[in-house]
Amino acid sequence: MKQVSLIAAFAALTTSAFAGAGTAAAESTLDIVKERGHLRCQVGSPSAGYYNLDSDGNWYGLDVSVCQAVAAAIFGDKSKLEIQSVSSQARFTALANGESDLLSRTATWTLTRDSQLGIDFLAPNFYDGQGFTVRKDSGITSAMELQGAKVCVTTGTTTELNLTDYSRANKLNISNVTFEDFNVRDDTYLNGGCDAVTGDKSSMAGNIAAFPVPADHIILPETLSKEPLSSAVRHGDNQWSDIVRWSIFALINAEELGITQANVDDMLANSPVPSVRRMLGAEGNLHEGLGLKSDWAYNIIKAVGNYGEIYEAYMGHGKQGIGIDRAGTLNALWTDGGLMFSPPMR
Amino acid sequence: MAFVKSEKTPDRPAPLSERSVTGWMRKNLFNSWFNSILTVGTLLLIYFIVKGIWDWGFADATFMAENRRECFDNSLTGACWAGVIDWLDNIFYGRYPRDQIWRIHYGGLMLVLWMAPLWMERVKGKVLIAAGVVVFYPFLSGYLFAGGDKGVFMQLMVTGAVVALIANTANMITGLLKQESLKGFLLRVSGQTIAPDKTQRNILLAITGCAFAAAFIWQMNWRVDAVPWTKWGGLFLTMVISGIGIASSLPGGIILALGRRSKLTVIRVLCVSFIEVFRSVPLITVLFMATTMFPLFMDEGFVLNKLTQVIIAVVLFNACYMAETVRAGLQAIPKGQYEGAHTIGLGYWRMMGLVIMPQALKHMIPNIVGSFIGLLKDTTLVSIIGLFDILGMLRSISKDVPWLGLHKEPLIFGAMLFFILCFLMSKYSRYLEVKLSAGNRH
Repeated sequence: MKQVSLIAAFAALTTSAFAGAGTAAAESTLDIVKERGHLRCQVGSPSAGYYNLDSDGNWYGLDVSVCQAVAAAIFGDKSKLEIQSVSSQARFTALANGESDLLSRTATWTLTRDSQLGIDFLAPNFYDGQGFTVRKDSGITSAMELQGAKVCVTTGTTTELNLTDYSRANKLNISNVTFEDFNVRDDTYLNGGCDAVTGDKSSMAGNIAAFPVPADHIILPETLSKEPLSSAVRHGDNQWSDIVRWSIFALINAEELGITQANVDDMLANSPVPSVRRMLGAEGNLHEGLGLKSDWAYNIIKAVGNYGEIYEAYMGHGKQGIGIDRAGTLNALWTDGGLMFSPPMR
Repeated sequence: MAFVKSEKTPDRPAPLSERSVTGWMRKNLFNSWFNSILTVGTLLLIYFIVKGIWDWGFADATFMAENRRECFDNSLTGACWAGVIDWLDNIFYGRYPRDQIWRIHYGGLMLVLWMAPLWMERVKGKVLIAAGVVVFYPFLSGYLFAGGDKGVFMQLMVTGAVVALIANTANMITGLLKQESLKGFLLRVSGQTIAPDKTQRNILLAITGCAFAAAFIWQMNWRVDAVPWTKWGGLFLTMVISGIGIASSLPGGIILALGRRSKLTVIRVLCVSFIEVFRSVPLITVLFMATTMFPLFMDEGFVLNKLTQVIIAVVLFNACYMAETVRAGLQAIPKGQYEGAHTIGLGYWRMMGLVIMPQALKHMIPNIVGSFIGLLKDTTLVSIIGLFDILGMLRSISKDVPWLGLHKEPLIFGAMLFFILCFLMSKYSRYLEVKLSAGNRH
């Protein structure tokens, strides 16, 4: 991992050198994207809920919807989009070296990444946290009871580090059983190779739903870490980061205002509420600072729906959803006690 | 002489212990108590393995289901092949638009049509056929697969490819029917068989020119939709990468091997350092260099097609391995062969082409095919850098929500597919070996 971050740092240095030298002359990212005719949006290798392929070869998922939202904001057409699947080792380099315009994948926003890699994190679209899954018949109800347990964990991420830290801090004496692939991790757990599995709670919930008998397993209440999964762009183009940030806020704001994919036309035509009219471009000039057309937010909602709809479709109980309840979690709207909050659009 | 029998005693059958199945078993499987235990143990082991595979893979397996939950409802212990079946299009063609898949089929059929004459005894001009495939087929199939607008160069190459394919097919037909080459056929039909060389050449040139013009006009109106490379995937992508790798690593390897044995110091040093650098680095490192580091050296915003970068990396990497294989073959040729070739007045290239290389390559067939098989399997590494080749697709099934967690069945399916491909290749190499060495068996 050290090598990888060195490469990433090198990448960041080189690009910032380039950017620094040629900012005045260089085109803005928005111009480059418009000229090219499509947006290059980076995701990772398929991950349930966030970005995956269906059997017809189409991308779908929460982060894919963010990509589509930005494409719709710029072009009014969510299909003017190239989804790039990049390995997690190369993700920040690919963004910093200009291969991707936008990174929309399960990347945790941390200080080091934000400040040292030449990239800027914008707005979380999902709050995750690490937890434990155990078999119900083990009788364990709290992570504090995992004394001396064998815990299955995937290697090469902060997950393993968090587990070790947690074990040391609470004197749990946990032994790690590490895996490269989390399918194998889950199989080992199901076959009794370890007492518990640790991973991000959201993806574990999805995995449990796909276990032979989901009701036999529970996720313990403790949360080991905070993982604000956030989009990121290259450092230095503020107009571009505004566009992406406010495209995500538009999704959240639309939910708060009750604008959905189905009623957005009606809202645009008939709604008397000033904040709705301003957001959809019926009045005011919100779009000017972003360099987009006045119907940019309308196009986003028309193309992908609001945040609540997207969550329900891919994270919740939709046909392609992995079945995580939203109510009471950090991902609920701030009006429902969650953290999903958009600054006012005015 | 009454004690001498007048007729031959009839042959008695061998004792029962030598000819019956039980006799054979007693002699070979149960000839001591230890061997008996081994036999019984092994039989039990085979039984349990076969039964386990059968139960999991067939008896308890689900072949038709909407999602993995239905598979579980059907059986908790059986395989869920329904997911693999649902994903077959992705596994074979990747994200290629479903209504355009015929283009991949046509591309494959075209290759078969083009190369089939190579295996036909009656057809003449095999070297020309092979050259035609290597030079023209990539452009024709490349346009067929990628589509979009053609540049001038592409238009010319596509035209050339169409003419070459038609000539190739006509040559196959005349070969099969009359056992003569297309050239001979055209001259006979036009009644110029005994005309001077110059006339013959002009006639052939005129016919080619007309065909070229006709094909050029035709292809101006031939356009297929653009399919960006990001939509290429599955077995198709694996075949594209390994096909190009196989087709170009052998010529590349021959050139590098000759360069390494060259007497010209500059060429030799260049070839040696090239080979050694690429051979001493793992393929995955080369791929990462090509895809992530390379753009750093370029202007900001410069993006070379990632697929091209990967293919170039695979070709260079394998050419280096091939070079060493070819060099080993060259070392095995006795000095007398070189001297003999010189004696009859052959220069360097003709000596290599006519005397040395054919023998060297023939000796090296098992190794060359071994490299090809390795190449085919190595290309699955591209899934790590985010290309959806067959392995990338197989691994993605377990992330598709209806089939969440389904990872064993796809990988087993992939293993079977690879086994078939590689086994066919190795069988063919065996056949080639026997065929080519038929004349000089010691």
